[in-house]
Amino acid sequence: MVNDRGQLYTMEGVAAGVIMLLTAYIVISTTSVYTAGDTHIPDMQLEQLGSDVLAMMDTPDNREEEENRLARFIDEHEGTEFKTMFLGYCNAKTSGATDNLHMSANVTYRDGNLIKEHQFIAPDYTWTERESAVRVTRWVQLDLKAGRSPYGARPQAVLLEVLLWRA
Amino acid sequence: MSLDFLAGFTIFMLALIMVVSMVPGLLAGLESSGIDYDAVAYRTGVILVEDPGWPVYPPWEMNDENHKDEIERMGLAVSKETPNILLSTKVDAFFNDSFFTPDDYRNLAIFGDIPYSYNISLRSEDGSYNYRTGNPLPPGYGYIRRVVKIKEPGVAVINDSFASDYTAPSSDQEFTVRLDFGQLLDPSIGPAYRIDPRTEPVSVTITDFNAYLNTTDHLVDNATLRTVTFWKMDPTRPIPQFTRIPFAYDTTNSELYTLTIDGNPHSLRPDGGVEVSENISLVLKPAATSFFTLDQNSILEIRFGFDDTPSRTNITGIHHYDYNATNVTIPDLQPAVLEVAIW
Repeated sequence: MVNDRGQLYTMEGVAAGVIMLLTAYIVISTTSVYTAGDTHIPDMQLEQLGSDVLAMMDTPDNREEEENRLARFIDEHEGTEFKTMFLGYCNAKTSGATDNLHMSANVTYRDGNLIKEHQFIAPDYTWTERESAVRVTRWVQLDLKAGRSPYGARPQAVLLEVLLWRA
Repeated sequence: MSLDFLAGFTIFMLALIMVVSMVPGLLAGLESSGIDYDAVAYRTGVILVEDPGWPVYPPWEMNDENHKDEIERMGLAVSKETPNILLSTKVDAFFNDSFFTPDDYRNLAIFGDIPYSYNISLRSEDGSYNYRTGNPLPPGYGYIRRVVKIKEPGVAVINDSFASDYTAPSSDQEFTVRLDFGQLLDPSIGPAYRIDPRTEPVSVTITDFNAYLNTTDHLVDNATLRTVTFWKMDPTRPIPQFTRIPFAYDTTNSELYTLTIDGNPHSLRPDGGVEVSENISLVLKPAATSFFTLDQNSILEIRFGFDDTPSRTNITGIHHYDYNATNVTIPDLQPAVLEVAIW
């Protein structure tokens, strides 16, 4: 039953196995595996920075300052002022050249039973849709204001979403 | 045929199991040390920005060289309820690298298992805070940047605009600044805006002192300050009354207070008194306030005693050190950036 042909099959099987294993080993050991942790860290740093900036913009500088700054920016459509302040905080460093972060922002609000989105700040020329951008959000309470567009006159909480990327 | 296949497949499976068991070893080489540094930098940033440190009261930053070992953690936040709002006294203490050694920073802020190198820096938007401690940055370090605001202590500036309120012809030559802790530590006032003399210095500056002089005699151009004393009262006691606080009034100690008269430093009870013609500036440090054993019900008075015969100043009355913007100027929170680099 057992003859030379069988031995040949066995040797072929062993050789194929060895080749496959060697290939797998070479592939794994030469491929640069970009782990989830590596990608997460720059994102986490940007997210933390963006959250800090929104929180600080939402913190009055003194007790007397009753006006909510973020609400004013949204209410009065002061997108340019918001962008200047936001990027001013974001790009500030303790020494050397300032950072090179860019942003766009949307406001999500409720209109009757519909959830709508309004572009608060359009992305600038650096936006190619291939950036590794992060999203930071903050709820902002708008007070009653007649004739407000597009969010409507009634008081409501709107969601400010900022997209942040490094050019 | 089937036996050959079985033998080959068995060898293959054994080899595959061996390789699979080797995979974690293969990936171990891919573990980047940068990931670890970033994590340590992030953790250090969180401790500094979101934590007030330990002990909280009396705060860690008040500990002197003899009590340095009582500090367990150095956080810069005003309180745990106010992340990203830093207290200026904590910031000043933290970046005092003539007091803290590199090992102190490692053991009380970085908390690493290995002796990491670090570079921690803070700069405010207007440049009034510009601190850095640690070594120069090498390539490949872990990093985090946090945006913060810095809370600074208030200052009571008593200038000539108060002259009509605080002068009387038959003055008792004593002027009082009163701090009602019940009012100051009101829980309805957020920690980011609270005046807390237990953690921040109390600054009283009397400027334009000539507006408080007894001008009936045209030759008078100064008055003699004999003492500055501290008194306290607990209104919850059965018969509340002010009692003088025992204190080393004769000893000049900049850790506890600074008293500057016309630009020159003095003790709280200068020998023979000291003549004041322009201004008096007193800064009472939290380290001194901690000796006074004050609580949220206490009332503290700082009494400036003048003594001339005949009287050379008409200053009198009580100035309330409180949240009235006319009485105490509280600076706006200062935007700043904190960077932590670890390697």
